Amino acid sequence: MRRFSEISPAAAALWYLSVMGISMFCNYPVLAAMTIAGGCMVFIMIAGKGHGREHLFFWLLFAVLAIANPLTSHNGRTVLFVMNNNPVTLEALLYGLNSAALIVGVLYLLRSFTMIMTADRLLYLTGFLSPKLSLTLSMALRFVPLFGRQWQKISDAQRAMGLYRDNNFLDDLKGRMRIFSILVTWALENGITTADSMEARGYGCGRRSQLRQYRTTLQDAVFMAADAVLTGVCVFAVCKNGFRFGFYPDTFVEKPGIKGICGIIAFGLLILMPLVTEGTVKLRWRYLQSRV
Amino acid sequence: MFCGEKLGELSERRSASGIGFVMQRPEQQIVTDKVWHELAFGLENLGVPPKEIARRTAEMASYFGIGDWFDRDVSQLSGGQKQLLNLAAVLVMQPELLILDEPTAQLDPIAAADFIATLKRLCSDFSLTILIAEHRLEDLVPLCDRLLVMEQGRLIADAAPAEVLGDLGGRPEVMAGMPAASRLFAMLGGEGKSPLTVREGRNFIEQNYGNSVRSLEEKEYTALEIPALEFREVCFRYSREGKDILDGMSLKVWQGELLCILGGNGSGKTTSLRAAAGLIRPYSGKIEIFGKKLGKYREQSLYRECLAMMPQDVQTVFLRNTLREELEECGADWKSLPFDLSPLLDKHPYDLSGGQQQLAALAKVLASKPKLLLLDEPTKGLDAQAKSEFTGVLRRLKAEGVTICAVTHDVEFAAEAADRCAMFFGGRIVSEGTPENFFSCNNFYTTAASRMTRGWYEKAVTVSQAAQLCTLNGRKGAGQ
Repeated sequence: MRRFSEISPAAAALWYLSVMGISMFCNYPVLAAMTIAGGCMVFIMIAGKGHGREHLFFWLLFAVLAIANPLTSHNGRTVLFVMNNNPVTLEALLYGLNSAALIVGVLYLLRSFTMIMTADRLLYLTGFLSPKLSLTLSMALRFVPLFGRQWQKISDAQRAMGLYRDNNFLDDLKGRMRIFSILVTWALENGITTADSMEARGYGCGRRSQLRQYRTTLQDAVFMAADAVLTGVCVFAVCKNGFRFGFYPDTFVEKPGIKGICGIIAFGLLILMPLVTEGTVKLRWRYLQSRV
Repeated sequence: MFCGEKLGELSERRSASGIGFVMQRPEQQIVTDKVWHELAFGLENLGVPPKEIARRTAEMASYFGIGDWFDRDVSQLSGGQKQLLNLAAVLVMQPELLILDEPTAQLDPIAAADFIATLKRLCSDFSLTILIAEHRLEDLVPLCDRLLVMEQGRLIADAAPAEVLGDLGGRPEVMAGMPAASRLFAMLGGEGKSPLTVREGRNFIEQNYGNSVRSLEEKEYTALEIPALEFREVCFRYSREGKDILDGMSLKVWQGELLCILGGNGSGKTTSLRAAAGLIRPYSGKIEIFGKKLGKYREQSLYRECLAMMPQDVQTVFLRNTLREELEECGADWKSLPFDLSPLLDKHPYDLSGGQQQLAALAKVLASKPKLLLLDEPTKGLDAQAKSEFTGVLRRLKAEGVTICAVTHDVEFAAEAADRCAMFFGGRIVSEGTPENFFSCNNFYTTAASRMTRGWYEKAVTVSQAAQLCTLNGRKGAGQ
């Protein structure tokens, strides 16, 4: 069994897509709260302890978003107080809290997504769409840092010859322009060699196949199936109007019926899937270790 | 013709899979960003089923010992590893013919020796035909079955190496790049089959020449003893957690001398030059240029008529579309240089050959009239002819009073050109001395001529010194 950050890129991508899709499309307060809680937990699980700065940033953003809505939107009936001749209402505040929870929750999820989706996992996914796109991306990923390093080398070389002056802004800009122009020449020049090397290895002589680095295991299949079922339940609940709520003019969240409860439970299980995977792996290890 | 088929009629598929081609520059031949993807690239192009690709890449990776860096980014590899990857990426397509165009030109001697050893193993493990165009021949020639020598588009020799080198003895310009043993053989006017390896060379000397005169008269080396560049306990590291690249390095470069710093790959030789050029700042220790602390030079004054550095990758020196613009812009006086650039002036700097680029870059570096010249791997990618020209240029600069400090892997160059050599290891200089003393003390890090004559003669580090000694002793049996 593998950890959540090591499961097949397709399964991981599917999970992120379904969680973010459901929570963003329903905008339902209960789900929003679950999203921010789940997103935060998954982030901590993947990134580990620490990352205080990122947490601080996310929660500051949360506060700003929550406060910004009542300051700009004046809908709603319950006036809390009047500021600059504008009423600040409870409903607008609640709406702000709800959307802030949603946005920050999704941001947490995206942050952990970028942490586990390394370049080759993303390439693996794009390979499904088009092998050519995947190859182009792979070449670009190699080239961009190469360009940066060459830039540094050239500017060092020029400096050590006393030809690069950065005493004033204009000279600096001129120097940079010239380095950029020779860099383009350099890139084209190297492009020819790379093209020769590609041709010598048979690029463009018929259909390409693709080596897949990740195997899809039973665990991935189970994970994806569970994901699909839970997502299905949630979508069903949404379509059948299981979640009744409104913010304006009065905020109300109707007590969910059986459909609503099913939807909430399904979403809760869905968002817990990474944690369950991680927990199971840990338990297994402990069990194995205790037997040794 | 390839396997009985005309080359023009060969299908793209057949030529891609049947003929493997590895070129000069390791970096530019790589297509993708990951090692495993690079290995799979050729097979993917041919539409080989994924399972087959996985099997063949795995096989090739373990044969080449790539297993450890299979998942790495190609940008993390050293030059030698990149070139090995290029070779593996070609071989994974199971070619019948392998064509290599100066595969070791951009590699340091140790990586080059590694690469050549791999070729030898390939040759004996698979019955593979390998065709190599190369001018760095010390290690390569003894391995070849056939040696072809070309001159101005004509083939002038085609036979087994020992015979070819025996015949070509009278052509010093052709012999310049050949193994030390054959050069010695040629200088002494030997006839018949030429020795190729150090061992054969040694046998040749011992059988034919006495050793009653054991060493040449030593030229006293006297320096001015005024330091042009001085390192005092210099320490440097790239990041706070990293280890010290320069670890208490101390070195004095006297005015008017040519000092070569030798040392292994990635040992920090280049870093020491960059520190001397003020490109990086050591966290402790002092660097003084002409008796003045590096930090005391304001802004550009360090680089104005004082110090200039030629980087390892000379392409980074050029910024313009023609060499003429390049030299005019920085005010280089190319007519007074000790070499002639006039036929090259209207070419794009990138279109010049390796040796020409090196000379053109030197011209540009000299434009600021430096008194101290720092060279980083100046002989990389040069053939023997260009190298001896370059050495001549450095000698003339030295005669004009320029102090030169070169960092190099090239022991033969150092033995030929340097006044003093210094060994860099573990972040500091561990030994220094005149080439004769320096190389005759080293067992491994030394020239082929020194290894050939060790114990028989003393302090013969270049081929010409060895030849002189042999002539002094006279041929065995000839005088009696």
